[in-house]
Amino acid sequence: MTAMIWAEGLTKFYGESRGVTELSFEVEAGEVFGFLGPNGAGKTTTIRLMLDLIRPSSGKLELFGLDVRKQSVAVRSRAGYLPGDLHLYERLTPREYLRYVAALRGLDGLGEGEALAERFELELERPIRALSKGNRQKVGLVQAFLHQPDLLLLDEPTSGLDPLVQKTFNELLREVVAEGRTVFLSSHILSEVQRLADRVAIIREGSLELVEAVDVLRARAFVRVEATFSTPPPQEAFANLPGVRELERRGPVVVLALEGAADPLIKTLARYEVLALDSHEADLEDFFLTLYREGSASAS
Amino acid sequence: MRASVLTRTLRDKWRSFRWWCIGILAFVALYGAVFPSLHGNKSLDNLIKSYPEALKGFIGFGGNLDIGSGAGYLGTEVFSFWGPIVFLAAAIAVGADAIAGEEERGTLDLLLSLPVWRVRCLLEKLAALVCEVVALGIVLWVLLVIVSAAAGMGVSAANLAATTIALILLALMFGSLALAIGAATGRRALAIGLSATLAVAADVLNALAPLASWLNSAKFVSPFYYYSHDDPLQHGLDGSDLLVLLALVLVVACLAPIVFARRDLSTP
Ligand SMILES: Nc1ncnc2c1ncn2[C@@H]1O[C@H](COP(=O)(O)OP(=O)(O)O)[C@@H](O)[C@H]1O
Ligand SMILES: [Mg+2]
Repeated sequence: MTAMIWAEGLTKFYGESRGVTELSFEVEAGEVFGFLGPNGAGKTTTIRLMLDLIRPSSGKLELFGLDVRKQSVAVRSRAGYLPGDLHLYERLTPREYLRYVAALRGLDGLGEGEALAERFELELERPIRALSKGNRQKVGLVQAFLHQPDLLLLDEPTSGLDPLVQKTFNELLREVVAEGRTVFLSSHILSEVQRLADRVAIIREGSLELVEAVDVLRARAFVRVEATFSTPPPQEAFANLPGVRELERRGPVVVLALEGAADPLIKTLARYEVLALDSHEADLEDFFLTLYREGSASAS
Repeated sequence: MRASVLTRTLRDKWRSFRWWCIGILAFVALYGAVFPSLHGNKSLDNLIKSYPEALKGFIGFGGNLDIGSGAGYLGTEVFSFWGPIVFLAAAIAVGADAIAGEEERGTLDLLLSLPVWRVRCLLEKLAALVCEVVALGIVLWVLLVIVSAAAGMGVSAANLAATTIALILLALMFGSLALAIGAATGRRALAIGLSATLAVAADVLNALAPLASWLNSAKFVSPFYYYSHDDPLQHGLDGSDLLVLLALVLVVACLAPIVFARRDLSTP
């Protein structure tokens, strides 16, 4: 079976400035593939390369086994795209706009758009310029799904959606995948990708850091604990605690990664004077910190 | 009928098109109202004949300066002055907006994520430009035919049609130039500025041609020369001039997709 997305050595430079470098990965049919990276990592660049909106400097990129340059129209007819930065025709109503999109996709009426709009409770008759950010995002989602594409390319799809709409969106993704269709979803939020995706690629400064099943990633998840002390504790204070790694130290502030039970850490913290304690689920930046640690640990 | 890039673009232009029509109507009516007071006025003729050559080049249409006659009046006022300004402004605005405007507003990204071939999108935008300029030309022609008859200008509908066709082609040449520059660069202001500058330069070159021999041979590169030199208001359709103008339009139109097909689209 051919992969839905296949990239090899994919590189894009904007003049001198780096877009993405030497990306190689595959996305299989029927999976939700999370493309995770901080701002400026190259997520939008990768997606726009797939749609032939920008052209690669080198490397190969195929969707559905078709070259994205040579067979771009065929590729685009089977893909649905939600841009990260959505710009719509302000004067049109959602109905006029969706009818235009459907017509250019060779569909009568709104395609599946009518049913989708109802599901998202999107009002179709008010001009787009009068819509809130959340409602615009709904228009963007509906136009991406209305032709029941085999592959969805969603660039940070959940930004601007309120929780209720987010729930509808999650359900929609599940249905799409149940039908054997494929989702490529970019995000800068670790927890979001963990929730939605089957596999995750992490991209950073234009290159892939890792590609893993989300379960593997989840097994490496941890809680970030930031403790502020009255006087800095000794360097080795948290060295040999089970499930605890020290990530960072800034004067009296110590940042720790905690996996599993909290008790040993709490007992150790109690030996010192703790002025403030903050803990939350690790985000992408924390995750990078641990990647760094592991990298330097294995290098030494 | 299903919508296409062409029909969608035409619908979007409808609002501004109506304003251009109202403007044309107002000016043509005004010119028609003023004509009877100039008709056969010899002192005005003598005044214009005493103007310096450089000025005459700008005022006259195909060398005709007889402002007291119908053809001379429409030539100097409408076809050598106000007509090109309005038609070129409209065509350049539409042309520059076609690709570069959509790109700067960010809507081109989603449009070209649909299964639409880039070059086809550009050609449909070009077709919309042609439709709009031709429609403006028809409006102008109909109004001129009416006003010419009502004010006793005595210019035939056929000659008015010939001149209007030349004006349409002239406007299309600079409109497609703006479209081409916008498509190649994605920059609307640059497309407007550059094509308007070239239009002014071409007009000046043609107008000043009689003053110097070196200019006189350079005038052949100016589209304005083919537009006006044979005074179609008096002499009717000149096939070869129209063919040259048409060829210029086609050349610019063929150049338009070259860079556009290859370059990266930008986002705002
Ligand atoms: N049009 C452009 N010109 C120059 N550099 C660009 C352009 N678009 C993106 N970049 C650069 O490419 C890198 C990746 O950007 P992008 O793909 O937008 O990242 P992301 O979507 O992950 O935030 C960034 O460093 C950005 O500055
Ligand atoms: Mg982005």
